[in-house]
Amino acid sequence: MAPIAVGDVIPDGTLAFLDNDNKPQSVSIHSLSKGKKVIIFGVPGAFTPTCSLKHVPGFIERAEELKGKGVDEIICISVNDPFVMKSWANTFPENKHVTFLADGSAKYTHDLGLELDLTDKGLGIRSKRFALLVEDLKVKVANIESGGEFTVSSAEEIIKAL
Amino acid sequence: MALVMAKRAAASSSAMKSVSSAAAIWMRSYAKVAVGTDIVSAAPNVSLQKARTWDEGVSSKFSTTPLNNIFKDKKVVIFGLPGAYTGVCSNKHVPGYKENIDKFKAKGIDSVVCVAVNDPYTMNAWAEKLEANNAIEFYGDFDGSFHKSLDLVVDLSGALLGTRSHRWSAYVVDGKVKALNVEEAPSDVKVSGADTILGQI
Repeated sequence: MAPIAVGDVIPDGTLAFLDNDNKPQSVSIHSLSKGKKVIIFGVPGAFTPTCSLKHVPGFIERAEELKGKGVDEIICISVNDPFVMKSWANTFPENKHVTFLADGSAKYTHDLGLELDLTDKGLGIRSKRFALLVEDLKVKVANIESGGEFTVSSAEEIIKAL
Repeated sequence: MALVMAKRAAASSSAMKSVSSAAAIWMRSYAKVAVGTDIVSAAPNVSLQKARTWDEGVSSKFSTTPLNNIFKDKKVVIFGLPGAYTGVCSNKHVPGYKENIDKFKAKGIDSVVCVAVNDPYTMNAWAEKLEANNAIEFYGDFDGSFHKSLDLVVDLSGALLGTRSHRWSAYVVDGKVKALNVEEAPSDVKVSGADTILGQI
């Protein structure tokens, strides 16, 4: 699958989360994004350093600013199950606006063309690090790292596009 | 008939409970491991990933642990569970082993090992949260190869977990399985808890 690019319509897909009663639920990406301005950023793995210490905090810290510029949703996705995602999300108690969604089977990541093979690191198939700005399902900005490095996929970079 | 019952079960209450009903209705194929099996021979070319931080992963060059290193010449109690950070695993299964660690040591057990189909970084963070990584050695079977080899996998897609491990425990001496307990339903801790296996050592 070719990687998602500017001008593409994002595919629909089902992602998972735990609700307030800790029950697994599913949600369609299109239902969250249709008619809205949405940032979707992807990380290789919950509980890994760059994801936890740099990538996610950047979006949490600048969430108000992003909302002020008309962003309706900020969504973090990773190839992890929803139990792990929720527990990882809970390690960011200051988070108000970032929604953590689980792509446990890596299907949505595959449909975005953004898979990353981290088998030799003990992680299996994961997602590249990326950040997308999506308006009414159309990709306006696609900042995709070649792997897990942290350069173009930050909150700072995507704010420049708003 | 089983399918209809499973669908009805799936519609009700919590996801884990519905999965356990489905699992109980469908016949589970027998595990490839039984009392008397040599666990290392049953899973050749399989290694596990010791729970660790990413930095430890880097400095160890992401080394894996062959089963031989875990089991050879040792008395090991090993238990497997469906998932880090899930309810029964966190609230019942691991704590039972953690609380009884002194009793295991008193019976000559060299190591108590916990394994799940999770990556080693998630296992590490979870073990730290449970304050259990001094007592118990946590390993990640990140691609499920260990559990697939032993035929101890279960489809927990209904609970959005994918292919995972059954809940099970075993007492293994120098690689030979002396006792093996596998739950019928992954959400139960009826036979796979610390108290049961303590009685089997």
